[in-house]
Amino acid sequence: MTSRGTPSRFLQSVLQNGVGRYVCQLKRISLIFSKKAQSSLGVREFIEEGVVDFAKKNPGTVVYVSPQSCRIPKIVAEYLNGNVREETITAKSSGEVAALVQKLSEQSGLDIIRIRKPFHSNSPSIQGLWHPFTNRTPSIGPIRPQDPQAHREEGDGDMVAPSTERCSSTEQAEASA
Amino acid sequence: MASGYLVGRGVTALGIHLQHVGRNVLLTQTREKKRWMKAYTSLMERKMKLDGPPPPKPRSHQPNWDYHAEVQAFSSRLHENFSLELLKTAFVNPCYVRSEEESRRKLGLDSEAAALSLRDNTELRGRGLEFTHSFLSDWCRGNFPNLPAEAVTALVGHLTSPAVMCHVARNLAVEDLTLSSQFPVPDDVLRATFFAVVEALRESSGDESTGLFLRDFLVPELIGKDLFEVWSVVNPMGLLVEELSRRKQPLPEPRLIRSAGASTVLPLYFVGLYSDKKLLAEGPGETVLAAEEEAARVALRKLYGYTENRRPWDFSPLRQQPAPAVRALQST
Repeated sequence: MTSRGTPSRFLQSVLQNGVGRYVCQLKRISLIFSKKAQSSLGVREFIEEGVVDFAKKNPGTVVYVSPQSCRIPKIVAEYLNGNVREETITAKSSGEVAALVQKLSEQSGLDIIRIRKPFHSNSPSIQGLWHPFTNRTPSIGPIRPQDPQAHREEGDGDMVAPSTERCSSTEQAEASA
Repeated sequence: MASGYLVGRGVTALGIHLQHVGRNVLLTQTREKKRWMKAYTSLMERKMKLDGPPPPKPRSHQPNWDYHAEVQAFSSRLHENFSLELLKTAFVNPCYVRSEEESRRKLGLDSEAAALSLRDNTELRGRGLEFTHSFLSDWCRGNFPNLPAEAVTALVGHLTSPAVMCHVARNLAVEDLTLSSQFPVPDDVLRATFFAVVEALRESSGDESTGLFLRDFLVPELIGKDLFEVWSVVNPMGLLVEELSRRKQPLPEPRLIRSAGASTVLPLYFVGLYSDKKLLAEGPGETVLAAEEEAARVALRKLYGYTENRRPWDFSPLRQQPAPAVRALQST
């Protein structure tokens, strides 16, 4: 599938997070594992070694540890914007589980899809959008070749006319000639 | 044994649908393949299609929920020192207390036993509303000293409107913690709960940090909003004339300064407003009148200091006052 067909979004954050203060977006994380199964050996090790440290380091995240008889251990992460992510951690070592938990706690919870631009600005142009009238002196009507008398006066240097108009008028005169 | 289990399961789970399922069932069931399973799941799927998806369940009725831990995490997530008692009170809505007592009475408890000894947030939300209004209007007046009173009211009204406040509350996980009789929590209940949370913060850590809380979470909703998106002005030209006459400046004179494609389907006019022969503002439009109105809006934005290229608002965290000795050193 080409990139045009894939879902995409713009770079954004939940509630302009970080403008005022940073709020960790992970509100709740549940480790679901089996007490006996071989596939959840790494999770059991992580729970023995690292989960208390993680909970102490992130007081804004509630950590639930629930042993169930299941073959596929998983992590369920819930974010402030209501999104829920489930990650299976079958046969992962405790280091890998710790890295995954850390990664989940640093994400914003928005959909992980292609981001159209790697930057975002609320005011894209400080000076305003360019349009054909930008930096032109105020005038009405189309640009006409000036009459020869005015030319003569200009040549004398008595009148100061906008330079852009004079240039275009001479071009037009040349084209007609 | 398996078939016995099957019959028991069919009677309890399927009820009247038993005969439909029973037609497909082998009574000599082995342990290998559960052949009744397919009929059961397809029946359930059909039932789901008829009934529609089940109603949403509040997070507190799902597994892994510890209310105390959640409230504590809420307070430390926002980097605030809430008093947990007050915060829990702030989440209790009167409609929740009423519905709880009703359900207890239905269970046959007498009125004394049925009464819940819970304080609800009726007082907190009223005071929170007052504080939020006063803080936000002070903030607007401090940042935009030229803004008229109606515009300040409109800005504050926009920030405290149910749409904005519920958006903020839902993205701060207030909805999960709110105790309400209905789910999903109605907008007015959620908004009142958010006011109660603000008041709980004010009573536990003072006015200043509550102001910072409101500034950090409510005010960013104004980013990217235009003044006239929030404040609807019907006659901007009349307002501009009023403003200029109040400031003792000559009245604005609209002049057509540029035009292009006047005879096409996409005409463009630029109208400039001059006051005392100086260009106040210029605005584009498809007709001369629309361009004049747009120019008046641009001029008003410039007068009030709410242009797009204004200085960004100050969101810096509260700085600690330096000790007197340090201050003396800095001043010398």
